[in-house]
Amino acid sequence: MSALLEVDGLEVDYGTARALDGADLRVAAGEAVGVVGESGSGKSTLGAAIGRLLPRQAVVAAGTVRVAGEPVLDLPPAALRRLRRQRLGFVFQDPIASLDPTMRVGAQLRLVLRAHGRDGRESPGGRDGGRGGADVAFHLARVKLDDPRVAAAYPHQLSGGMAQRVAIALAMAASPELLVADEPTASLDSQVREEVLNVVFALARQAGTSIVWLSHDLPAVARRCDRVAVMYAGRVVESGPAADVLGDPVHPYTAALARSAPAVAVPGVRLEPVPGRPPVLTGPSPGCAFAPRCPFAEDRCATERPEPVRVGAKDVLCHRAAELEVIA
Amino acid sequence: MNRTARVKRSRRLDPLSLAGLGCLLLLVLVALGSLVHAGGDPDAIVGPRLRPPGPGWWLGTDNLGRSMLPRVMEGVGTTLLLSSAAVLVTAALSAGFGILAGYRGGYLNELIMRVVELLYSFPAIVLAILVAAVAGPGQLAAVASIVLVTIPLMTRLVRAAAVAVAERDYVTAAAISGAGLPRILGRHVLPNVAGTIAVQGTYALSVGISVEGGLSFLGFGVQPPQASLGVLIRQGGTYMMAAPWLIIGPGVVLVLAILSINVLGDGLRDRFEPRETRSLI
Amino acid sequence: MRLLLWWAGRALSSAVTLLGISVLIFAALRLMPGGFAETILGPFATPAQKAELAARYGLDQSVFAQYGHWLAAVGTGDFGTSMISRQPVAAELWARLPVTGRLTLFAVAAAVLAGVPLGVLTALRARPGGGGAAGRLLSGLGVSVPEFALGSLVVFVVSRYGLQTSGYLLPAAVLSIFAISATARTTRDAVLNVLVEPHVTAAVARGETPWFIVRHHILRNAAGPVLTLTAYLLGGALIVEYLFNLPGIGSYVVQAVGRRDYAVVQAGVLLAATVFIVMNVLIDLLVGLVDPRLGRRA
Ligand SMILES: Nc1ncnc2c1ncn2[C@@H]1O[C@H](COP(=O)(O)OP(=O)(O)OP(=O)(O)O)[C@@H](O)[C@H]1O
Ligand SMILES: [Mg+2]
Repeated sequence: MSALLEVDGLEVDYGTARALDGADLRVAAGEAVGVVGESGSGKSTLGAAIGRLLPRQAVVAAGTVRVAGEPVLDLPPAALRRLRRQRLGFVFQDPIASLDPTMRVGAQLRLVLRAHGRDGRESPGGRDGGRGGADVAFHLARVKLDDPRVAAAYPHQLSGGMAQRVAIALAMAASPELLVADEPTASLDSQVREEVLNVVFALARQAGTSIVWLSHDLPAVARRCDRVAVMYAGRVVESGPAADVLGDPVHPYTAALARSAPAVAVPGVRLEPVPGRPPVLTGPSPGCAFAPRCPFAEDRCATERPEPVRVGAKDVLCHRAAELEVIA
Repeated sequence: MNRTARVKRSRRLDPLSLAGLGCLLLLVLVALGSLVHAGGDPDAIVGPRLRPPGPGWWLGTDNLGRSMLPRVMEGVGTTLLLSSAAVLVTAALSAGFGILAGYRGGYLNELIMRVVELLYSFPAIVLAILVAAVAGPGQLAAVASIVLVTIPLMTRLVRAAAVAVAERDYVTAAAISGAGLPRILGRHVLPNVAGTIAVQGTYALSVGISVEGGLSFLGFGVQPPQASLGVLIRQGGTYMMAAPWLIIGPGVVLVLAILSINVLGDGLRDRFEPRETRSLI
Repeated sequence: MRLLLWWAGRALSSAVTLLGISVLIFAALRLMPGGFAETILGPFATPAQKAELAARYGLDQSVFAQYGHWLAAVGTGDFGTSMISRQPVAAELWARLPVTGRLTLFAVAAAVLAGVPLGVLTALRARPGGGGAAGRLLSGLGVSVPEFALGSLVVFVVSRYGLQTSGYLLPAAVLSIFAISATARTTRDAVLNVLVEPHVTAAVARGETPWFIVRHHILRNAAGPVLTLTAYLLGGALIVEYLFNLPGIGSYVVQAVGRRDYAVVQAGVLLAATVFIVMNVLIDLLVGLVDPRLGRRA
């Protein structure tokens, strides 16, 4: 089966800083994939690259991104816009800032619906051709915003959770095939988080939309996603079915991450954080970027770049994957 | 290889800004040259009246038969001298008031910002005219006008920078560890607002040249026989039809001076206060 | 409601500024050569007139009382008498208002119709780092030519080629060039600032066209700084009137400084500052209507 999203060997530099160092990611249709990693591991860069939304100073040094077979990084502008409009949806970290501050929520939603009407694509609930209030109310109700005052409010009058639901409604209005959510709940209170995530996953399931959820939180991701990809220093070091990655990690970094996660901590057992800090790359890493922090590192780990190894249902980026699999 | 080159470029000024700097230095050289009459005596009558540029008078002669070259050089000198003197005064006052307002806050901040807003409420040339009316036309009026026109913006920006610095941990730490106020302001705050002062000082210089020119053009700034760029343009206006070179020379130099300073200011701003350029469309 | 409160606060603070300006101008008036009586009446006043003035303005009283009397007179539109024409200054200014008004209105229209689109276009073309040296040079040139230099150039070119120099077309054109280049630059900066906001990224991510984004998400967000600029055109109007010998308020005040007709100078400066401040308040109101966040910032 050909995947909906295929990222292959993507390398992205910001001036001298290397944000992605050969990242691979595969997402099938209808699947929810969680991408986890520490701050600076390149999650946002990967997410932005999927829609070719990288800032101008970012340079793609190598690699490809395909969405439904289309080469995102090489499309002409009009085709790129069509792809974004019809197949992709994005939700960002700061919900209030990602809405136009000078426009009421209803007007913003209407604007988006009208654009989809022009495409000749009927959005769900679009009984009156994307013109009127019924449509707006329908799309707000889908994200559990039933209060009619929301449509008349400006973004700064909403709470973070409400604003994020509006942003989700905007992104999902056209029922995209792939939704990229970059830490959509990072700026929200913990009670609101679950509600917002419920809304996202319910809507996506209903519309058959695949999800790429970028997050810091391995257990939370493992709970909701079908598959998990763990990033370290600009590469995906381990990916596979969520239960396998969290419950049976092979890569030493994933293992340390899984052990230190509070959700799996057993009372009385000491948390084991990963000692050391992630590297700041200024070019391709000569070997495995995790080697300096790795308790299992050998000589070749510092000099030889690891290639993905198939271990069970997972892809692991480690020279000693086979041996470690046995240990685990 | 490529990578290191990119870093170096961002630390240095870009070529256009360097060109601006070069142009400005050249003008300063010209001004210095005028002190020793490098282009000739600006008051000497060297030939027939209103002659177009030619040997002996490379920028033409004026209505009295004086060569325009030394007069323009003297004009550059006067204009640059008055403007930079005024900008130095502005920089000193703005640094003092801005840091005081930003770091001390309270009623002092309130008072200083009120006065600044007051001055901000006059269009530049209107303020200059009021100054000229009180002080009487002359160099003092020109300098005072430039100071009053440029001080509000610089004080505001210095204050904003000082507020940002005052909130930083190391300043708080210095204050807690008992460093005196002058020491904190001198050692910690001033170096951090210096970039703002440099950038704004550059822009202020170009505003100053423009204000001096405008005021002298109206007849309220520098008074003849002393030459300044504004005076020369005013005088040239009378004979514009017969002798356009009288106005073209000083006009070009004036625009060149302002332009090169503005370009340099943009370069300095990008270096000291880089702003985010994350834009997608 | 919030917006209303914010606006009331803004109006109040402007009133305080205006009061400050009146103090400044009153002080300037007393500093001017010749003293207060001569400033108001001119040098040829009879002793009787002077005595009458002294009584009316309370010149025998304290400075504060004098300021009060002066302020009261100014407040009722009594700016004294022009020394040259022996006419009330207020009437003279009123007669010249249409010239200045027409000139500035024309320039404002040009700024909005040409300057704003130009600024938007150059902002969208701008690339970080370079922007093209030529582009930077050109846009720099726009703000580096002072009004009086460009005006002189235009007068020269026009009279050289025997074109019509009277009328409002040329002065309006000169002022408009300024308005356009200044507006273009301000618009450019404002748009560049909006361009990096996350909501623009979000719109790009939704696959909107650049033109659509500019129209629906950028123009309104960038309106504030651009509107504010129109208030600065007053100074340019003064130079242009003087240059083209137009009988407007600006040239009148310039002449008055030359002739030491101080009653006119104080009235002109006070008027300019007042118009400037009132326009700023009105513009703030407009911007507040356009950008609902302002009410919150108060
Ligand atoms: N606009 C930019 N300019 C320069 N460097 C950048 C830029 N954006 C990101 N980087 C660098 O690229 C690397 C990866 O950043 P990215 O934002 O993709 O990481 P992330 O995993 O999303 O981190 P976080 O969890 O903090 O969001 C970091 O080292 C960061 O400093
Ligand atoms: Mg991120």
